[in-house]
Amino acid sequence: MSGTTYSDSTVSPVSMASFGYAPLPNRRDEAFDSNGKIVPEWEGLFESIGRHGIDILDEWDSVATRISRERGLAYRPASVEAETDAGWSLDPLPWLISSEKWKPLESGICQRTRLYQALLKDAYGEQRMLSEKLIPAEILLANNGFVRSLHNLTPGDERVGLGMSAFDIARDTVGNPFVVNDRFDSPFGLGLALENRTVINKVLPRLFRRCGVEQIGQFFIDWFKFLVSRAPGGKVDPLVVILDPSTQNEDSEISFLANYCGVLRVHPADLTVRGGEVWIKTLKGLVPVDVIWKLMPGKRIDALESEIRGGGGISGIFEVMRMGRVSLASHPGSEVLQSPGFYPYLPKLCRAFLGEELELAPVATWWCGTSKALSHVTANLSKMVIKSVGHHHDFQTQYGSRLSAGDLEKLRERIHAHPEGFVGQEELRISTVPTVRAEGVVPRGAVLRAFSFPDEEKGAVVMPGGLARVSSADGTVVSTRSEGESKDVWISTGRLPDGFSIASVLERSHPAVPDIVPSQKGENLFWSGRYAERAHAASRFASRVLSCRDQGFSNDDQFEVAHEDFLLEALFVVFDSDKLLGDEKDLDKRLEMVLVDPNCPAGIAYNLNRFHYATQATRESWSPASIRAIESAGQLWRKVARDIDPDLSVSSDLFELQLKLSGFLGLNLDSMTRDEGWALLDAGRRIERGKIITSLLIFLLEGKFDEDMKSLLNESVLFILDSARTYQRRYQDTPQTAFTVQLLLSEVDYPRSIRHIIDRLVDVCEKIPNPSQHAHPRALLATASKDLTLLNERIDMEIEAGIFLDSELLVEMRKLRDFFINLSDQITVSYFSHTVES
Amino acid sequence: MTKEVCYQIRHLTAYEYTGRIDLCQSIAHLKPLIDGSQKTIEHSVEVHPKPHFQTEREDYWNNGTLYFEVQGSHQSLKVIATSKVVKRITDPVVPRSGAAWDDVSARLKMGDSDEKGLYFANFLLPTLSCPRLEEIDEFLEPSLQPGRDSMELVSEIMTRINTEFDYVPGATDTTTPVVTLLKNKQGVCQDFAHVMIVALRRLGIPVRYVSGYLETLPPPGVEKLQGSDATHAWVEAYSRATGWVGFDPTNNIIPAHQHIKIGHGRDYFDLQPLKGTFVGNGNQRLTVEVDVERC
Repeated sequence: MSGTTYSDSTVSPVSMASFGYAPLPNRRDEAFDSNGKIVPEWEGLFESIGRHGIDILDEWDSVATRISRERGLAYRPASVEAETDAGWSLDPLPWLISSEKWKPLESGICQRTRLYQALLKDAYGEQRMLSEKLIPAEILLANNGFVRSLHNLTPGDERVGLGMSAFDIARDTVGNPFVVNDRFDSPFGLGLALENRTVINKVLPRLFRRCGVEQIGQFFIDWFKFLVSRAPGGKVDPLVVILDPSTQNEDSEISFLANYCGVLRVHPADLTVRGGEVWIKTLKGLVPVDVIWKLMPGKRIDALESEIRGGGGISGIFEVMRMGRVSLASHPGSEVLQSPGFYPYLPKLCRAFLGEELELAPVATWWCGTSKALSHVTANLSKMVIKSVGHHHDFQTQYGSRLSAGDLEKLRERIHAHPEGFVGQEELRISTVPTVRAEGVVPRGAVLRAFSFPDEEKGAVVMPGGLARVSSADGTVVSTRSEGESKDVWISTGRLPDGFSIASVLERSHPAVPDIVPSQKGENLFWSGRYAERAHAASRFASRVLSCRDQGFSNDDQFEVAHEDFLLEALFVVFDSDKLLGDEKDLDKRLEMVLVDPNCPAGIAYNLNRFHYATQATRESWSPASIRAIESAGQLWRKVARDIDPDLSVSSDLFELQLKLSGFLGLNLDSMTRDEGWALLDAGRRIERGKIITSLLIFLLEGKFDEDMKSLLNESVLFILDSARTYQRRYQDTPQTAFTVQLLLSEVDYPRSIRHIIDRLVDVCEKIPNPSQHAHPRALLATASKDLTLLNERIDMEIEAGIFLDSELLVEMRKLRDFFINLSDQITVSYFSHTVES
Repeated sequence: MTKEVCYQIRHLTAYEYTGRIDLCQSIAHLKPLIDGSQKTIEHSVEVHPKPHFQTEREDYWNNGTLYFEVQGSHQSLKVIATSKVVKRITDPVVPRSGAAWDDVSARLKMGDSDEKGLYFANFLLPTLSCPRLEEIDEFLEPSLQPGRDSMELVSEIMTRINTEFDYVPGATDTTTPVVTLLKNKQGVCQDFAHVMIVALRRLGIPVRYVSGYLETLPPPGVEKLQGSDATHAWVEAYSRATGWVGFDPTNNIIPAHQHIKIGHGRDYFDLQPLKGTFVGNGNQRLTVEVDVERC
């Protein structure tokens, strides 16, 4: 089927002037040639803008923002503790590259992948690059990414290979492409590229089709096949996992990749080496792992063999690699190849290892270890980019053009002290692409991050597209790993695709994520429930204190102060942190601790932070709406903490927080699959609630209060547990301990009664598998349920007979509280810690 | 006929834990190597509790390397290495390289390699625990007479470390940085080896860390050599004329048959006798016993 080409389309000519776009002087623009004429592959985009009018850009921008927010994946705000909402943003205008221009790039990327694959094998094998003196020895041997313990692993073996590789490519003023960075160890951005494509495809579906953009879905299908093919011994249907070093949000693109590719996401603590194999600790026991797609630095991956002490990782994993019982992609020693120290020698290496001329040149680079290069670099320092070749742990890339004369001199001295540790690179004036800003469309420097992986037949598979990173206003530096602005990259064929929709590729491409819940994830879900419940309870306490202050329910100040004192003390006791109160007698200070002190376990800020961490670590389990609820709770409280002022009441903020947390606790019930992960989450919140309720009842039964105080504290407890209304309906009486106890222990269909909590826990725990080594919690629950029935019968009788005795009930209540603690301990041992009895 | 001496070596490492350990993974470098001056004729390692899994291999430096896992709750870990080593009896001689330390043209190049094919870059470049330190210059300065034979200089540096530093067990641990050693001037054998490594690399002389044992002979009236209660450490420096030559700054001697070598690396961390990670609670208490006896 022949398609429509650009020249056939009915383009109404759009000039740069028509929407005020002005390319920068002395820079090349990707969309407009030097005469201001639109480059053909961009015509469709500008025609579309011309047709809809310039205001369409605002709409595209807001649609892109909305969709990515709704997806809640890649562009999330930073943690609760962070001051600002940093993260990635997406520009709605893609970077268009025609097939003709892409072809040589693709070929160059493919060759480069083959070359570095050969270099990797050589570096960890024969080391011809040293014996034939193709590079100075220090380039390899001084690099802290060269992992000596992986040398001679198994020469020629497929396990010694690159995995997903990334190449940053920029174009100079005449349009020549240069590689400015190579990333092999654990390149970031693949998930962002995928996410960008998904979002932009929704923003500009028709344009996407008209431009005949190359699909990227197949690339991910091939990548998954590649991972499967790495399985040791050619195992059919191997277990492939993606290893995410962080359980927090920094690399949330990983959870997106995991879901999209149907690969289980695990963290170092999920994996363990036993008996020469790598295993995942799961809720059902240990499960063997075959292939690890690692997104953590290889040199840190084996805690036992790492030269970096205390770096985390999985002890013994290199030993398993040596035995050929697990495959890692990429090879954990591939970081060494990222050194720009190889750049000056790359043409020579390419001829030696491939017998070919290098197609895609690296940016002009001088290694300062030779005296000639050293004098060139130091003489031209203000025009150079200075990078470490991997010897230093503390050297940030420096741009000579941005340094003062004094700083240039300092840098020069630093290079002279240790020349072989540095390279100088020519600072490119990278080409610009049109980018949407509030003031309109403006030119911004851009670098293309291309992705590829090795392939036995083709040499390499290259993603038709990539991630474009856009510079800040002033210059040529593109963003870092953690934040910045990105664009989708369209390889435009100019032909209409033959009835092949991206949605169908997205849908049918990958298997479902294996039905395995890693223990750590289970533990985080369990604690998400507990922390949400704690944050909610702490905020109810605070609300109670504030509402009592506002209302002034008696004429006795001293009485009110005493009540507040009791309440705050109770809160700290409930959360086992009464020691923390210490000498702090000032009630305002205590309240402030509860509200905003991030180190106070009885406080809102502390529990919200913990809640945030636990949910971030299990991000893929949550619906977008739940994520929204979690994030808005965090944002709200960040703001409260920032603006805290003793003279301003936070009552309404507390109320809003409670709404959000209730929203979260309700949402997850509706939107989560009711698997064992959900069961643990639900168990966590119910256990926590049970512990809070029993602790409060102990507080009421234990305290020596006079009748007025007792009545008021009963009211407070009912308020905190949000049970005042239910109490009123049932007893139509002023609060008293006997009734409070009865209500909170026995009411069958009331979610805030222990009866209901234990009944639900019995149901929920049936969804948790039988652990391989330890007891299922069902026996513990059955006993507790029976004991509770007896206790409730006794309480009913005592109330009936008017012989209700606080002191005797106290013993039972403590037992009940201990039950919740024991249940939590048992779940921890049986499902999370996996310790083997000897 | 060359004269030989045979040693029986018993090396016990014991960890007592205050809590329960559920899983431990370890790497041991305990097998004395074989080279021109020594031959290991017997070697075995016993681990209690019995490992569930173990493998043996040679590492990057050709050191014998044992990996083992102990699974299941335990409160102590014992590793007993037993080796029988035959050493050629030699007389320690202070070597000469025949080249001046400051003769730049005679320097060994990063990309050149020793007889075993190991590149000198390995032994000339800084490491995490033996970094490039300007602070060493002050220490070196008095010995740097122009035109001195490089091995003679190395020998003097050994002697000066021996006299200027105090042997104080417990004053340092394996993580004490060399810059601190230079300031406090005290430590144990591995610290002195690290100081010497930093010093020689600063001068462009290839040097490597050696881990091993030392036979101590305490006849009455003779001062007991230090290092007899534990494993020992010294260094080897290289010149074209001599090959690798040992220097023991702790005892100010050129190692001969009383020094039994386990292996070498860039610094202590390349061949810790025993290192491991464990899963469980509690602190650990370490006991090391070494017996070196003629047999």
